[in-house]
Amino acid sequence: MAIVYDLVWRVLHLLLQLQRAAVSAFAWKRNWLLWRRAAAAVLLPLALGFANQKKLGAAAGKRPSRRYRVLTDGKALEKLPLHVGLLVAEEEVQYTDIANVVVWCMALGISYVSVYDNEGVFRRNNSRLMEEIVKQQKELLGSESCKYSSEFLNNGADAQEQDDGKLSIVRAAQQLCKSVEQKESTPKDITVSVLDFTLRESKNLPDPELVLKFGTVDSTLGFLPWHIRLTEFISFPSHKDVSYDDFLCALRRYASCEQRLGK
Amino acid sequence: MSWIREGELGLLERFSANILKAGPMPRHVAFIMDGNRRYARKRHVERQEGHTQGFDKLAETLRWCLNLGIHEVTVYAFSIENFKRSNEEVDGLMELAKEKFLRLLDEQAKLEKHGVCIRVLGDLTLLPEDLQRLISKAVVSTRGHNKCFLNVCFAYTSRHEIANAVREMAWGTEQGLLKSSDVSEALLSQCLYTSSSPDPDLLIRTSGEVRLSDFLLWQTSHSCVVFQSVLCSSQNTRFWNLCEAVLQYQLNHRSIQARELHREAEAAQQLEADRSCVTELLQQGGNGKPVDARSRHTVLLSYTASREERVSRFLDALQQKRDAYFLDMSGLTAVA
Repeated sequence: MAIVYDLVWRVLHLLLQLQRAAVSAFAWKRNWLLWRRAAAAVLLPLALGFANQKKLGAAAGKRPSRRYRVLTDGKALEKLPLHVGLLVAEEEVQYTDIANVVVWCMALGISYVSVYDNEGVFRRNNSRLMEEIVKQQKELLGSESCKYSSEFLNNGADAQEQDDGKLSIVRAAQQLCKSVEQKESTPKDITVSVLDFTLRESKNLPDPELVLKFGTVDSTLGFLPWHIRLTEFISFPSHKDVSYDDFLCALRRYASCEQRLGK
Repeated sequence: MSWIREGELGLLERFSANILKAGPMPRHVAFIMDGNRRYARKRHVERQEGHTQGFDKLAETLRWCLNLGIHEVTVYAFSIENFKRSNEEVDGLMELAKEKFLRLLDEQAKLEKHGVCIRVLGDLTLLPEDLQRLISKAVVSTRGHNKCFLNVCFAYTSRHEIANAVREMAWGTEQGLLKSSDVSEALLSQCLYTSSSPDPDLLIRTSGEVRLSDFLLWQTSHSCVVFQSVLCSSQNTRFWNLCEAVLQYQLNHRSIQARELHREAEAAQQLEADRSCVTELLQQGGNGKPVDARSRHTVLLSYTASREERVSRFLDALQQKRDAYFLDMSGLTAVA
């Protein structure tokens, strides 16, 4: 009988994996269709634009429209997170796609973006990601917007270290124990707010209100355990070719969700 | 309604359970079962009724877990944040807890038969004293059982738990049992309320919320997290929801092996910390004389051994302190 169960289990999992592959393939195809439709929509006014004002270049006609759309989308959202985490749980990493999401976040007016993967790929290649962000920013938003957000780039977007989670809590604990050891404080002084304060000394980021998780793994993979207390998690099957509409949909879902904070 | 429900699964359910069991099974599952009030509102019943039904569902879920061969379950019963609710509701919940723990004490024979060990995790001093006593009694009387484990998080939040662990370690350094350099990730894990459980393999949250709400943040950092959109107390929460979550765990099983990788990194960190402590020691005692590699190695070995001894002495003391609280509290009822 055990062999039968084992066989059925294997067949079941094969089917589930097939289904999963089909879902991501479908997502890709849908994105492609959307992209084609979007391209048509952009090209059509462009053609009209050419007819009316021949002096303006093609690029100038296209970019502001996208930018204004993003800006109005940001205003239309009821509530916007201050800090968004991008958690990439996939083996292959596409810098362009992640850079796109970062740029969309910036354009919507989100102040902090953290990029994290559990292998530390982004941490090691931080400069490559930054380059890609600047490039995508120019492409998507037009060159004039670079000025106001390059400063924002330096302290806003941040590739999280792999061991930034538990290890930073351990370091804070060591520090607090040391001050007890040296008779500067007593164990009773250590409370949630003291520990929180100590943790924020090295890097003062607000807790992420929203984490966009890319990949089929259902886990936080060690992402900032202290800070994700009230974080909303929204999953995407993959970060490859993630579309602006999907991204906006996730933010709408975040905006519509009610947090009761224990009450 | 009783804590331990007896009863077998139906034919189809048993068949599916056996199929699931052919794959890797989670050993420890954690649940956030919320949505009791929303369920009550939807069904136009009293809030308290919703909470009571939530408990019944918990008992049923425990039975399903046992039938699936999952021997450890952790549930989020009451958060410290929940004290912010209206007095009436908090009192109602405390009454419900008292009733259920009294019931538990009546069910000793059943608990013994199934070998159920109950642990209550959280800052129990925040609770009314009579409830503290009841809880202590339940914990002390089931301490020896070791077939299955039910951890009830009561007056719990993960941040409090972590802060409490740091406080305990600070207490250790104050007492001279520990040095501040002994503080490590492994030691912190062992100072948490969950020190005697393995980390959960699977965390299930019903009710459609997609956040962890300050529950086991440290312990589930590499676990499979499944969000389901059924309200926990509703009749629709069925055996199949649990099966679905287990299936999801099995699909994720290979990717979550990263946890093992993390453990290796942890060991490397510990070695690095020991090395730097030894360097410091040698610099202090060696008057700046260069030390050859071999004697350095001997010092490192002896340092590691003494650190391990300190840590185990401290952990014993901590365990004793915690046991003493429960014994003390449960003993009080006998005197009164």
